[in-house]
Amino acid sequence: MRFFLSSTFIILIGCTPYPKKMGYDQSTSTSVQITNPYFSDADHDYVYKAGITFFDKQFGGILVIKKIKENNHRVVFTTEFGNTIFDFSFKDDDFKVNRILKEMDRKLLLNILEKDFRSLIKEHITPIDIYKNENKSLIKTQNRSKKYYYLYESDTLTQIARIANQKEKVVIKFSKISNNIVDYIQITHSNIKLQIRLTAI
Amino acid sequence: MLFLVKAVTAQTEMTSAEAQALRTLVKEKAALTKTILSDFTQYKHLDFLSNDIESNGKLAFQAPDKVLWQYSAPFSYSILFKNEKLYINDNGNKSDLNVGSNKLFKQLNQLITASINGDMFISDEFEIDYFKTDDSNIVHFTPKDAQFAEFIKTFHISFSKTGEVTRVKMIEPSNDYTLIIFYNRIENKAIPDAVFSQ
Repeated sequence: MRFFLSSTFIILIGCTPYPKKMGYDQSTSTSVQITNPYFSDADHDYVYKAGITFFDKQFGGILVIKKIKENNHRVVFTTEFGNTIFDFSFKDDDFKVNRILKEMDRKLLLNILEKDFRSLIKEHITPIDIYKNENKSLIKTQNRSKKYYYLYESDTLTQIARIANQKEKVVIKFSKISNNIVDYIQITHSNIKLQIRLTAI
Repeated sequence: MLFLVKAVTAQTEMTSAEAQALRTLVKEKAALTKTILSDFTQYKHLDFLSNDIESNGKLAFQAPDKVLWQYSAPFSYSILFKNEKLYINDNGNKSDLNVGSNKLFKQLNQLITASINGDMFISDEFEIDYFKTDDSNIVHFTPKDAQFAEFIKTFHISFSKTGEVTRVKMIEPSNDYTLIIFYNRIENKAIPDAVFSQ
């Protein structure tokens, strides 16, 4: 009986909703239009020096993100010499691989990259719930059955977290932000040893 | 850009005698060149971008096969080809890659090394075409190997009339390209070993 109770207790703690665990209370305010403004200017070339840690391997290169038109982005990764490693198009819900180095053409890897970049560039977000903690808002949304929480600090988007079983699976952190340009982005996976660091150039 | 357009339109194919003369000139020049120091500017052109991505750096070459590309702006990055190995220093993070085991990198390295000293006409791995303009000679190298061709469709190397490599253009299957322009070239100045140590 005692074992059953303590197990239940552990399960209950484990099931604490993510916002509550992070110290947020549900807000009664009705939803407003939420946007991720960081890749929304079609006149701007978003160019980043990228560092990728995958298990014990380190890779570097240049990541280029361009908004072609509404709900349509190109994401291209090249070596420092300029050779294209991969080239993706995101158009509405479609994902197209224009080019990928044969060694990297693996379904599993493509799925991860698609999800990460889609989260990174998705501009218009429909909130499901809004949580507040002082000047911070945590906004719950859903995309293709996955749950995401957008963190706004004083109305600035600073983090996007993909949550499963109330735990962070992938966290995208935005820092060094000015005029809707993010100078540093860090994408960290917790279930695989993968981290992508992007520094604006 | 206007200049580029003009240079392209004024480009004519060389006769086989002219191509032979260029090969001889470049080989003679390469044989006399023990070291090269040069600045370079690299332009990465992606058709969908508003502007090319520009980076700058220095190149050091020592015959027969040591090559250091050192990017200084807009990021710090260096790549050293030495003894069939490739050493990378990415803003302090060091890594290396055994080029010998990777056919793609081996060919890329070979092409890069050869393109710096210009001595690359012996290769049977490329389809080679010769063109000339008023002030330069341009040689097109098209890889015969399918795996390599997937990476680089064709490689254009421009030589001055005196046989120095002035620009390298790597064109991808999508027709996007990387253009590297060399300037401030210094030949046969002793380069300390430390430059090529990683």
